[in-house]
Amino acid sequence: MEWYEALALLLGSIVFLMAIGMPVALAFLAANILGAWVFMGGERGITQLLNNGLGALTKYALMPIPLFLLMGEIFFHTGLGGRMFSAIDKLLGRLPGRLSYVTVLGGTAFSTLSGSSMGSTALLGSLMVPEMNRRGYKSYMSIGPILGTGGLAIIIPPSALAVLLATLAQIDVAALLIAGVIPGLLLALFYIGTIWLQTRLDRDAAPAYDVEPMSLAYRLKLLMTEVVPMVGVMVVIIVLMIQGFVTPSEAAAFGALGVLILAAIFRCLSWEAIQKSVIGALKVTLMAYLIVFGSATFSQLLAFSGASRGLVNWAIAFELAPLAMLTVMFAVLLLLGMFMEQISIMLLTVPIFFPLAQTLGFDPIWFGLIMLLSLEISFTTPPFGLLLFVMKGVAPPGTTMREIYTSAFPFIFCSILLVVLLIIFPNMALFLPSL
Amino acid sequence: EETISAVHAFPETLIYTQSFLDFVEKVNEAGKGVIQIDVRGGPEAIGMFQQPDAVRDGIVDMVYTPGSFYGGALPEKDAMVASNLTAIETRENGGTELIDQIHQDKMGLKYLGWFDSGVCYNLWTRNEPSFDADGNLEVEGLKLRGNNVYNAFFTNYLGAQVIDLPTGEVYSALQRGVVDATGWTQIGLIDLKWNEFLNYRIEPCFFSTDLGVIVNLDRWNSLPEEARTILQDVAIQHEKDSVEALRSKRDEDFAALDAAGMTVVSLEGEAKANYLAAAREKTWERMKGLMAEQPGGTDNYDRLIELFYDLDAAN
Amino acid sequence: MMKRTYDAVLFGMAIVAGLLLVWLMLSVITSVLMRNAGLQPFAWLFTSAEYGLLYMTMLGAPWLVREKGHVHIELVTAALPVGLRRIVSRTVATACVLVCLILAWQGADLVLTNIERGDYDTRAYYFPRWMLTIAFPLSFGMMAIEFSRFVFGPELMHSGEAGIHE
Ligand code: NA
Ligand code: NA
Repeated sequence: MEWYEALALLLGSIVFLMAIGMPVALAFLAANILGAWVFMGGERGITQLLNNGLGALTKYALMPIPLFLLMGEIFFHTGLGGRMFSAIDKLLGRLPGRLSYVTVLGGTAFSTLSGSSMGSTALLGSLMVPEMNRRGYKSYMSIGPILGTGGLAIIIPPSALAVLLATLAQIDVAALLIAGVIPGLLLALFYIGTIWLQTRLDRDAAPAYDVEPMSLAYRLKLLMTEVVPMVGVMVVIIVLMIQGFVTPSEAAAFGALGVLILAAIFRCLSWEAIQKSVIGALKVTLMAYLIVFGSATFSQLLAFSGASRGLVNWAIAFELAPLAMLTVMFAVLLLLGMFMEQISIMLLTVPIFFPLAQTLGFDPIWFGLIMLLSLEISFTTPPFGLLLFVMKGVAPPGTTMREIYTSAFPFIFCSILLVVLLIIFPNMALFLPSL
Repeated sequence: EETISAVHAFPETLIYTQSFLDFVEKVNEAGKGVIQIDVRGGPEAIGMFQQPDAVRDGIVDMVYTPGSFYGGALPEKDAMVASNLTAIETRENGGTELIDQIHQDKMGLKYLGWFDSGVCYNLWTRNEPSFDADGNLEVEGLKLRGNNVYNAFFTNYLGAQVIDLPTGEVYSALQRGVVDATGWTQIGLIDLKWNEFLNYRIEPCFFSTDLGVIVNLDRWNSLPEEARTILQDVAIQHEKDSVEALRSKRDEDFAALDAAGMTVVSLEGEAKANYLAAAREKTWERMKGLMAEQPGGTDNYDRLIELFYDLDAAN
Repeated sequence: MMKRTYDAVLFGMAIVAGLLLVWLMLSVITSVLMRNAGLQPFAWLFTSAEYGLLYMTMLGAPWLVREKGHVHIELVTAALPVGLRRIVSRTVATACVLVCLILAWQGADLVLTNIERGDYDTRAYYFPRWMLTIAFPLSFGMMAIEFSRFVFGPELMHSGEAGIHE
């Protein structure tokens, strides 16, 4: 079978099954059964599929997702989250879309420590979306920024994916990490700009209500009692991570513990709240992990069948000018990113793309950053970006697919804009490492 | 012309994978019109730890992997792990043949060749290691990263409770001080960039890499005689070539590490002998215990040790 | 009686999954505290958390089918008239049952192979593989039963409203 036939078979079956409404995880499993049958020699291929799923799930790197979810759910169900956001609402006064800005600022700070996109999307989603929904925010004002900052986790250091990429490509780890700082912060700025624009274009995007004037003393009290303790939990985790007390994978457990302790101090910890939090976190985790179980093998089938490598080799065989070649590589990464898991994409493309980038005269650090950005984008690209499903798990019932996709779109556009700017001004990435 | 499919356990850019790809190139050159190897990829094609089962079940025909990844099914791989010989000697003395026979009997696999042998492991630490009055290494206070290759030694002899981290997380764990010591092969530290944080190499080195090529036995037997001869001959040649190639790579790496300020600390005398003896004996112990639970029992135990360990060289 | 026993098993498995989630948190916290107190954390804390991820997912998945918690996309089903939608929805549910049955069957086969070969999962410890893979036939078998409720039962899996659904 030629690579394009294999590609058509695998992508065709998954798209068809999802379109007719098969649960996403089951659609992956069904496509895998078909693929395993064709490319791995029948029945024994299905055994392999199960073995692969076992390997994909029993990974410590997956740990942050359920625990960040748990942290967010406890925040929500104990009412701590509600209290904090009411206070922020009052403190920020009339600024339209204030909680969206809070999401971007908090999310950026949070991405700074978390290397896990799914983990931070899970936390921010379960923490912010229900609250913002309750306060009358349109869903794109809550879902969009969270999807955006979830992806930021990859480029702002520390980032496990960046370390892996640098190791695979044999480039300077520290340089690649530092190179992500300015573009990452710039991207966060773009997000803020996007929110501002959205509140301008649609006056009803975020609730506008009058805030009673408050004395400075009252504001200070509100800040100290309602905001500082909650934000303090986050700050403590960041400090613990910087100090090497915990690894990024372990931080989430302490986040959940911190919120539990805080809830106990504020006397809002009930057995019922704990129970609800565990159930809430469990539901989203199970949904996401069964998709991981299926999609890991799907990635491998794309690689094993020769479909993805065929695509990559076909695309780079055109002899084009460097800029056009870069565009082709970027497009291939985006396409693969829609269907494949990040690490598999890196393992597959790094040995091919980096030597090519070198012959085209690209700076490897700069190229590495572009690659990370494309992986970040693919995480939120419809139809199959995993973050979209995690977000669906925590979004209020009745949130439609179109809402999630359209929410993601402006923020994907920001990332693409950043890539264009990086191409025009490579120094944005290369300035800090050159110091 | 016959074509067999193959996957490798490690990412393509790693030096060991490059060695395997060299082997593939040589086979495809020598085997024109007879036998070709079609490499399907690395861990992105079949998960690293699922590859041994995949070749056993005939999903892929050939796999390049450390024996340790299927140590549960074939505890005899510990003979290679604990070895102080290279594939050149064990090919001559019949050790590799015995390992091949065990692969065939226990797993339905042909053991084609032991590549990249002659590379051993060191302990690498961030801070200057300390020794007790008898010159033994003190492990208390070390935040030691481990995995199932070393644990029989680290845990059962050194008494360390190791921190089990995947290779990909070690860099940031070192950076943040979550771990401050790890075992690793003599080469590869620079590629992983761990030398940014590790400053001491503890000698002597112990163990050996146990990377080998395994082939599904039914597929192997279905190949024409000529194809099998080409594969086996090229593999035996590559056993020799890879020892040479990796030795010079090790010398290069050591020189580069020296230049960058890596300090070598060595155990001496009785402490050194005890350290080495423990590395091999704890590992043999594990091997014997697991063999005893399997059909065939410990029948091959003494012979394996005789063929894979040169006691005189150790003393 | 059968139904009550079955439901008890289904919810029992979900409760174990929830407890495993709590265990993840406790094991991570314990091992970090031990490490920072200068002790070397037990390796089984780490390994049990990794295995916990698998058991949690597999034990909880059938319950999530009942809760309609596995996300799906309503595109075609939303555009169809009621009668046709019912047919498509039940067909999709049938396909899900089929997928789960195949995986349960192959999972059982895998367990037997693991026992026969004496396979171990080799991490910090050597752990009998069948004790992990046994989760597959159990989980997918029960998922098949749960999906079949949407084939034969009064309830449909698809609501007919456009969007991603849980
Ligand atoms: Na980060
Ligand atoms: Na994706």
